[in-house]
Amino acid sequence: MRLCRSFMPLFLGVLVCSAGWAADEPLPKAEEILDKFVEVTGGKAAYENIRNEKWTGSFEFLGKGIKGTVTSYRADPNKSLTSMELEGVGTIKEGTDGQTAWESSSLQGPRVKKDEERAFALREATLRGPLYWRKLYKHVETIGQETIDDQACYKVVLTPEEGKPETQFYDKKSGLMVKMTATVTNPMGEIPTETMLSDYKEENGLRQPHKIQQKAAGLDFLITIDRFDYNVDLPANTFDLPADVKALAPK
Amino acid sequence: MRRMRPLRLVSLFLFAAVSASPSDQRQLNLDSFEFIWTTVHDQYWDPTFGGLNWQAVHDELRPRMERATNMAEARHVMREMIDRLGKSHFAIIPADVYADLDEREEGSGPATTGLDARVLGGKTIVTTVDEGSPAGIAGVHTGWEILSIDEVPVAPALRRITNLDRDSTMLELHLARSLEAKLSGATGSEARIEFVDGEGRHVTKPIERSEPPGSLSRFGYLPPMHVWFHSRRVAKNIGYLAFNLFLDPAHIMPEFGDALTACADCTGVIIDLRGNPGGLGIMATGMAGWFFDKPDQRLGTMHMRQAPIKFTVNPRLPTYRGAVAILVDGCSASTSEILAEGMKDLGRARVFGTRTAGAALPSAIDKLPNGDGFQHAVADYISEGGKSLEGAGVTPDVEVKLTREALLAGHDPVLDAAIEWIHTRK
Repeated sequence: MRLCRSFMPLFLGVLVCSAGWAADEPLPKAEEILDKFVEVTGGKAAYENIRNEKWTGSFEFLGKGIKGTVTSYRADPNKSLTSMELEGVGTIKEGTDGQTAWESSSLQGPRVKKDEERAFALREATLRGPLYWRKLYKHVETIGQETIDDQACYKVVLTPEEGKPETQFYDKKSGLMVKMTATVTNPMGEIPTETMLSDYKEENGLRQPHKIQQKAAGLDFLITIDRFDYNVDLPANTFDLPADVKALAPK
Repeated sequence: MRRMRPLRLVSLFLFAAVSASPSDQRQLNLDSFEFIWTTVHDQYWDPTFGGLNWQAVHDELRPRMERATNMAEARHVMREMIDRLGKSHFAIIPADVYADLDEREEGSGPATTGLDARVLGGKTIVTTVDEGSPAGIAGVHTGWEILSIDEVPVAPALRRITNLDRDSTMLELHLARSLEAKLSGATGSEARIEFVDGEGRHVTKPIERSEPPGSLSRFGYLPPMHVWFHSRRVAKNIGYLAFNLFLDPAHIMPEFGDALTACADCTGVIIDLRGNPGGLGIMATGMAGWFFDKPDQRLGTMHMRQAPIKFTVNPRLPTYRGAVAILVDGCSASTSEILAEGMKDLGRARVFGTRTAGAALPSAIDKLPNGDGFQHAVADYISEGGKSLEGAGVTPDVEVKLTREALLAGHDPVLDAAIEWIHTRK
């Protein structure tokens, strides 16, 4: 549900945005902007109707010739499992069981996320994230306007209980989130990321972005989502920790 | 010691000039020139370009680029532009490389004779002969000197390279690449190699080139390459692991882990990175994970313009706790250097051999508008001990050089030194 999520912190991204203040215009409260986003993407009832979500798509590192496929599942309240098949590399998985956030790949082996990284992963895994922003963030504030790809946007800073503030940009006309910036903290360091969201389409009552372009560390990463499905039949053990992750997880 | 398979195959695939470019090709070349200049301008980790006036380089070379009438001239100008930076991991990969390899993808790649050679003491000496390879079947022995390949003497070209790169840490790498280019060719083609054998006799052997060992691996715009891994015991309690590239992690990483697990009770293991030119940098931290049980240790840090990226080791189970020796030579480059120096800095490995290539910059490969590949370094790399590896390389803890005499006697002095050290660790 929170498709601004960071799949691979090294590979996230930004698009050009130019500052363009409308100096005298009063800024709406962040609460209004975030609640409006819920309305324009389907409404509270539509969000409350879903128990789980599955989406499939493809991704590529733009200009690098590296491609792959991705399948992602989420379930109430904050369970997730994302599997990426990267050409020439193999499978990279990450997920949460609602408590433990983890990732595993042939490259690095299994790893349990800690502290800020864990908190970020659990926020990202929240199935109805847009609806629950009050639970996920301790403070939200509209700090200005910016023009992004010719769209006038409100700039909202959201501060979580644990972790660094995130900045989201909402189209003034449509109310849709079109960009997010965040600093992802992981064992590789603190990596600034920017994410562009576009191609919103309605499927089964919810409008979701189907193109997500992320930039980080000089790399440009595009995810194209084929489809979303909701309330699908998932095996009961879908979000169970893999055995090698379980061996590392706090007892 | 083992056959070097350059990560950048540029030197293996320099094609002759093609006929004059049509106007659209000319424009594509100009677009490529601008793409390269802009990419470096925007992404080079040092915004001062080490004091080089990058705008002036553009303004000087752009008119020559506009006058270029064919691909060879265009590539020459583009190469000159990136050479001005004086760093490794900048290259133009001709589009022909991709097309050529795509056509031969079915189990192919540059075919080899199964021998590897290095320049030792001014002579080109066979350092490895793969068991069962065409060279092995032909009776070629380590320690033999190569005089000519296909009736072309090897010495003059090697002298030219030596004169050019005399002061560069990459001299051995360039010499080996030049030899590799001469030794490799189409599958089924014949290399006529003139040797001096162990008794001083001149011997000429026709050797048919065959498919390289390993499986063909693809990653992004790197040309497809064969990747192999092998492990064995070199003594009762000493394991030996070798692989030719840090690529194809879906296969290489589990094989590496399995080999360590199979040697869990070994006194020590030897990781042979000689001739390994690198690959995916992150595989170095992934492999190091099997040697540490404490988190948050780093091999080094990659310094990009955007942010520093730490090469943090993620501990993996089961932890291998025995001694670790890493073998390197002047053809160990990039990810090999990151792993060797990082393990050395963390006190987890002892490094044997000769100084590495000093070509350790993390890089990316983009496709240019004219179809060529453009490899460009995106970061500087500083090992955990504070050493920049670029232009310096990894200095072994124990310097051991190959000699013709030892090779003729069937010895590998570098491997022998590592084995001897591990025996003392009992």
